[in-house]
Amino acid sequence: MSEEKKRSSKDKKKRKMKRKGIPYRDIELNIMPFIDVFSLLNTFLLMSAVFLSVGILEVQIPFLTNAPPEKTPDERVLEIKVEMEKDKIDVTAAYSRPPVNEQKKSFKPTKEDIAAMHKFLVEIRRANPDSDKVQFFSEDDVLWKDMAHVLDAIKVKQPGDPVFPTKTGSDIEKAIAAEFLYPKVVMASVML
Amino acid sequence: MASVSTKTGDQVNLNLMPMLDIFSILIVFLLMSYSTDPVSYDVNSGVELPESTTLTALDELPAIKVTKTEILVNDKKVANIIGGDVAEKDRSQGAIFPVYDELKKLATANARVMRGLSEADKAKMNALTMEMDQEHRFKLMKRIMLAAQQADFITFKLMVAKQNN
Repeated sequence: MSEEKKRSSKDKKKRKMKRKGIPYRDIELNIMPFIDVFSLLNTFLLMSAVFLSVGILEVQIPFLTNAPPEKTPDERVLEIKVEMEKDKIDVTAAYSRPPVNEQKKSFKPTKEDIAAMHKFLVEIRRANPDSDKVQFFSEDDVLWKDMAHVLDAIKVKQPGDPVFPTKTGSDIEKAIAAEFLYPKVVMASVML
Repeated sequence: MASVSTKTGDQVNLNLMPMLDIFSILIVFLLMSYSTDPVSYDVNSGVELPESTTLTALDELPAIKVTKTEILVNDKKVANIIGGDVAEKDRSQGAIFPVYDELKKLATANARVMRGLSEADKAKMNALTMEMDQEHRFKLMKRIMLAAQQADFITFKLMVAKQNN
């Protein structure tokens, strides 16, 4: 707006307010404190901003003990093993006592095959809801990033996966069952 | 509007409204992405984490960091990595001795603290969080896990980058 136009609009306002009997005052909004607050807030938020969200994959390794192995009763339990090599992943589900009923499938370490492996593990769990543990074996030359994808497929539930019943029905177990397909993964290759 | 006078008496006005617009949009964006997670952690610059679909958030700072060239335990460098493995002199029975040494000290310190704690807190203290570069092989991870096994740590929380779905 040019200076002349500004002055003429100001004069109009002054005359209007004089007619109404209101004293005219030139009011200006001081926005400098506003800018100070905004710049401080921006600095704080930029310094505390997290642009990479970090998560965890929890695994266990076999426990070392000098005590003699416990004599377990002759229980027939399902053992699920995932054996990973650089270019192959074998999933085996077999019972510890006859009838063994072994199910075995091989997959490649590609995105599609890992998704198929996850579906296979879901079917095994569906048939045996009490089995919540997987033993994971890996060759030495497997990359950690490839292992992470396979551990994801074993542990983490995908949308559409069924929720399996819990043993005790406690809130903690329900929360674990809602998030994980196989919550317990043991890195069985880690042995002296 | 900020203004300043020149020597000839002319007034120069600086329009601050666009700057205010930028600031307000930036603040709205940063407020929306502001995280109130219990643990805020900047990943080590020498580490690239693998991606994962896990929903479990990080709940404690990593005790073991494995960058492309070194292994650190509680921010103390214990071994160098050359060609994806540690030197022969650092190896003992397949494990990494300096890592075992530091973890043994950590286990001793934890044992002193754990006396008055609940079972859940004890389990948390017996878990090790590990931050490892995605290009390392399982061979190196196994050596570190073997060292931890000797020091009575059997639960590992492996750090990964959460995938944005």
